Amino acid sequence: MGRIHQKGKAGAAKAYITRSSAVKKLQCSLADFRRLCILKGIFPREPKNKRKANKGSSAPTSFYYAKDIAYLAHEPVLKRLREHKAFAKKLSRALGRGEWSSAKSLEDNKPVYRLDHIIKERYPTFVDALRDIDDALCMVFLFASLPSGQRLPPDLIENCARLSAEWQLYVMHTNSLRKSFLSIKGVYYQAEAMDQTITWLVPYQFTQNIPSDVDVRVMLTFLELYQTLLGFVFFKLYTDAGLVYPPPLDVKKYEAAAGVGAFSLQETGRSSSSTNPKHKTVEIDGRTVSGKDVRQIIKNIAASEEDSEMDSSSHVVQHSPAASQEEDFVLHPSKHTETDASLPTYKSLETLPKPLSTTLFSPYTFFLSREISRPIFEFIIRSFGGRVGWPASSGDGSPINMDDLSITHVIIDRPMPPIALSVQEKEQRSRRKYVQPQWIVDCINAGKILLEEPYTQGQTLPPHLSPFGELEGAYDPTTAINNGSQLEEEDSESEDQKAEDVDENGDRHDLKSSLKNVIEDSSALRTAELAAEVAGVDYDAFKKEVGKLERKKAEEQPVNAVEEDDMNKMMMSNKKRKLYEKMRHSQKKKESERIVLEAKRKAIMKQKKRDGKH
Amino acid sequence: MPPDGLKNSRKRKQVDEDTYTPQNTVQLEMLTDEEDTGPVSSDDDETEEFPEIDSGSDSESDQEGIEDDDEQQSDDDSDELDSDASLRIFPKAKTEISDITGKPKRVYPEIEADYDSDSSTEDAPNRVGNIPMHWYDDLPHIGYDINGKKVLRPARGDELDKFLATVDDPDAWMSAFDKNLQLDKPLTNEELDLIRRLYKGENPDIGYDPYEPMVEWFTGKGKEEIMPLSAAPEPKRRWIPSKWEKQKVMKIVRAIRQGRIVPNKPKSTNKMEFFSIWSDQPSALQQPPAPAPKVRLPTNSESYNPPEEYLPTTEEQEEWKQKDREDRERDYLPQKYPSLRLVPAYDRFIQERFHRQLDLYLAPRVQRVKLNMDPKSLIPKLPSPSTLRPFPNYKSLSFAHTKGRARCLSVSPDGAWVASGDEGGVVSLWEVNVGRETKRWQFKNKVSSIEWCPRMDVSYLMIGVEEELHFLIPPNLPDDIYSRTKSLLSPSTLPAQPSPSPLTWESISLDGQSIDKPILSIRLPSSSGTPTHIAWHRRGDYVATVSTGGPQNNVWIHQMSRRHSQAPFKKVKGSVQVVLFHPTKPHFFVATQQYIRIYNLSEQQLLKTLNPGMKWISSMDIHPSGDHLIVGGYDRKLCWFDLELSDKPYKSLRYHTRAIRSVCYHPTYPLFASSSDDGSIQVFHARVYNDLLTDALIVPLKILRGHQVQEGLGVLQIKWCTRQPWLLSSGADGQVALWCS
Repeated sequence: MGRIHQKGKAGAAKAYITRSSAVKKLQCSLADFRRLCILKGIFPREPKNKRKANKGSSAPTSFYYAKDIAYLAHEPVLKRLREHKAFAKKLSRALGRGEWSSAKSLEDNKPVYRLDHIIKERYPTFVDALRDIDDALCMVFLFASLPSGQRLPPDLIENCARLSAEWQLYVMHTNSLRKSFLSIKGVYYQAEAMDQTITWLVPYQFTQNIPSDVDVRVMLTFLELYQTLLGFVFFKLYTDAGLVYPPPLDVKKYEAAAGVGAFSLQETGRSSSSTNPKHKTVEIDGRTVSGKDVRQIIKNIAASEEDSEMDSSSHVVQHSPAASQEEDFVLHPSKHTETDASLPTYKSLETLPKPLSTTLFSPYTFFLSREISRPIFEFIIRSFGGRVGWPASSGDGSPINMDDLSITHVIIDRPMPPIALSVQEKEQRSRRKYVQPQWIVDCINAGKILLEEPYTQGQTLPPHLSPFGELEGAYDPTTAINNGSQLEEEDSESEDQKAEDVDENGDRHDLKSSLKNVIEDSSALRTAELAAEVAGVDYDAFKKEVGKLERKKAEEQPVNAVEEDDMNKMMMSNKKRKLYEKMRHSQKKKESERIVLEAKRKAIMKQKKRDGKH
Repeated sequence: MPPDGLKNSRKRKQVDEDTYTPQNTVQLEMLTDEEDTGPVSSDDDETEEFPEIDSGSDSESDQEGIEDDDEQQSDDDSDELDSDASLRIFPKAKTEISDITGKPKRVYPEIEADYDSDSSTEDAPNRVGNIPMHWYDDLPHIGYDINGKKVLRPARGDELDKFLATVDDPDAWMSAFDKNLQLDKPLTNEELDLIRRLYKGENPDIGYDPYEPMVEWFTGKGKEEIMPLSAAPEPKRRWIPSKWEKQKVMKIVRAIRQGRIVPNKPKSTNKMEFFSIWSDQPSALQQPPAPAPKVRLPTNSESYNPPEEYLPTTEEQEEWKQKDREDRERDYLPQKYPSLRLVPAYDRFIQERFHRQLDLYLAPRVQRVKLNMDPKSLIPKLPSPSTLRPFPNYKSLSFAHTKGRARCLSVSPDGAWVASGDEGGVVSLWEVNVGRETKRWQFKNKVSSIEWCPRMDVSYLMIGVEEELHFLIPPNLPDDIYSRTKSLLSPSTLPAQPSPSPLTWESISLDGQSIDKPILSIRLPSSSGTPTHIAWHRRGDYVATVSTGGPQNNVWIHQMSRRHSQAPFKKVKGSVQVVLFHPTKPHFFVATQQYIRIYNLSEQQLLKTLNPGMKWISSMDIHPSGDHLIVGGYDRKLCWFDLELSDKPYKSLRYHTRAIRSVCYHPTYPLFASSSDDGSIQVFHARVYNDLLTDALIVPLKILRGHQVQEGLGVLQIKWCTRQPWLLSSGADGQVALWCS
């Protein structure tokens, strides 16, 4: 007989600990526990069997790993929190007694904690940290836009604004912005740094206040962590790029709302003389480690520059008539692949994944009109190498003014003015292109300069699609456009039938009957193709017939297969069956959504056609 | 204090050097007498300095000493001036040459006796002194004069006289009543002055000067004490720094040097210092925690200008608004704005951020492997049914029972005839190929089971009706078979009854015999229920019946040759549903509601208990090889047992939507079928291998639908044709159908 095992001494009962007992064990308040969990990145776990983990009780509780909690118990921050508790008591006592001097000295010796060891712990390598800065960036950009108040001290907001500007500067400097999306929630940006894709969301520029159903303490704790994290990440990014961190701030410009322009990037070499020796050693430390990275980056930048040069030369090509042919479909370069693509054509090559041009806008100069949100478009344009100016009402520091002759595009979001233009304005308009802001974002998402016509001032814009794509199997509006032609085809088919009834041309029937058995195998198809050629049927018509038959056959064939599959499902094990059902369920859901959207689209198209006829 | 003492002594020396006044010592005594409560010497104005910490540096103290001296000198000068000024107040002394000594000496003027001296007394006539004068109130005199003579009371007028006197005398207001003399006396000028001073609140003494200059009697220039007060030598502590103080100070000094005491801690700055935190290699032991799950990227519907089909209709909007926030598929409603400038702020931006953070620190994270596979790959690959022909796949004919549900049916061993019974008590015999009824028997109660005797040399049916079992001979039999059957069922000589039994075997007498009536009946004990199941042994001599519905389950095994019935079990755990004979071995299968027990009949012991894991077994059949068993249950499950393998099912299938009523193996083809209350019959291919290592192959072939479901009952019994892959089924709709391949 083995040893008698006591209950609750091993297994899940020991591995898990409930939240209340964790708080008791750490001897801190729940608020402190939460703060610690946020800072240390500890989250509850779901035990496989709740009753085993909770002494036989199945009451709803949150569990933590006991080891996680044991690891929290040695946390220096916890010690500091305890000290802070004692400090708060002492301070309140001193204030209550009116001992102002001792209160002041207490306040001077207030315990503070640092988070750098936590950053190192949570992100042992730089890539780990970089992978996780999405949320940090979102938060910092959000808080940079909030008004300071009683709960949000102004220096916090200022620090957030500084961090967000530093990130934007880095992205602009390295041309690492890849995609952007104007959504109803805000603007999504996606950048690539050190092979990590970083996506962040920036709200539109409106004053927002923190709603009452949001716990600010939690947000501020997160923000505390994120500020530290971003500081270290930016330090590394800047030093690796050979820049000084933090970038010096020009207070005068900053006061005049120059935004990102208030900061100036400095090369490390130049600044080393001016910075104090201590700072310098740190930077050198950083560089010795990552010298290789720096070289790599330099190489990359050089390569990308070459690419961009090539691209810019190809722009000229795109403005040629070939581009104007695909005028309506400019947004969706992938849909012309249907033409039989055994040989690489220009279009099939075009759809291949190519290195995105990072200096797309370098030949152009933009001017933002005053209703354009400057931070968004200044950032996007400068990230893609363009020059950009703005009126004084949007802030200080514009490198060019409205009358500059080098301006090629004016980003404008106003309807066309009803009054007649003056001669000077007309001349200006002839020299410049007046486009709506969506053009910029669509250009960078497409990776090329799109035609300006659909985006000119006052035009109804083409739909703005997500550059991040849809979920797999979901409705794709770009393919739906292709199917639009199919819709027409169906219409024409009915017309064809009428025509067939009228003239008794045997040719078509022959073709059809021969095609029926053709679908079975490809060699027969080949012969049928030849036969059709001999008969003098033109290739497009032939293709159409084949396509129709194939579709019909595809509709018929599954009926049998589906039945067989249904029966074979009986032989699945329970586990597999459940899994299968789950998968089918999600598939069906997507399918039904797609069908609904397609039906809607068809209805809209029909409506439009009807409106067009009337 | 030692330093002060030092200073004083030093000062004294200085004074010695500067001035020399030997004479004033004489007068000093007198002056002290007069003004012993004079102002305490306030030494000099210098405030006491905090004793400086002498940590071994002599030079500093020297310097300080010098400075001190300077200060004191200046102080002394001012003192001299003061003393000169104060001297003038005193009566001026004349300096004369003494007659005796011949040296100059100071001579002060004679002191005159005046107001405050004793000798100045008025000559008052009444000498009674300061006594209460009312003692003399009743006497004519008021006292005595210096010579002892009575001083008579002066005459005093009445009030009118007094008043007249005041009116007459203009100086009356300046006179006051003298108690001693009992008369008004004019006040002297001095007295008036005194009154005036008192009235003004001044000091009544004219000679008093409140602002008298201070006189330094003991200090100041020329008054220094030259001689020490005691002869004791000056203690060391006056000039040696204290050891204990030094120790205390050194303790602090050490603390400062070690940094334990920071004199003025620099104010903690809020600014974080950033440095290259990832410069050193991460330790291999430390595993990075799993990265936080990323937020799903936005799709087209979130665009500010999506394609129009994404915009929700009003119904969809309503539906979205009515749903709880958690239940919504999207947390926003797609919207379309004609231009970017019109896009408003997203009102739930902060909330969404906050919820993301809650997710990050409050939600338990589970790592799930995302299956990136085609769900169709989960479906097992089985041979196509078309390659496994023949199997029944269509209904070729059906035979209708009009009186009720067709409960049971049986196929003759040669496969040509079918007997089916219904709840109306009708048993019909019809041909498989044609479906024509050749014979019909009518019973009083509902027919619950029919089974054909498996013997080929004889031919008869066994029918179970309410508490009775009947034996029928089909018509149109060949003569030899008929005679053999008849001799078997109603022999001329009955075998002897071995023992009294609750069952009775009743033969119909020869004259009463007819083709319409059973030739032999077995009467089961009363209230034993209906015999729902009949199972023949393969030789056709033994038959087992199960009756249900009675107070207890009755399993009987009847032996035809000996006309003998016996109950094999005295007591059975659970109610018996189905029984079966093993096709080759002397084994007997008994299925109760949840278990199947296998008994060896020859050794009379329990071999095995099978547990199909069902709640209620409805039917069971054994494979012709005898190694496999299928069991159907009312809980929609069908279990395949490999008897060699285990007492747990090899395969459990659940595909019928209602209870399974009947399962059946084909005697020759590798087929089996199951029927259910959902009105469908499922045909399977079931290949069994002799090789023990290969599992049986089960392939679903066909779902046969054609029976109607009535009152929740579907297909009640199925049987295979013996020689063809044809299936017969009887349904609750009264139809008996033949399914052909």
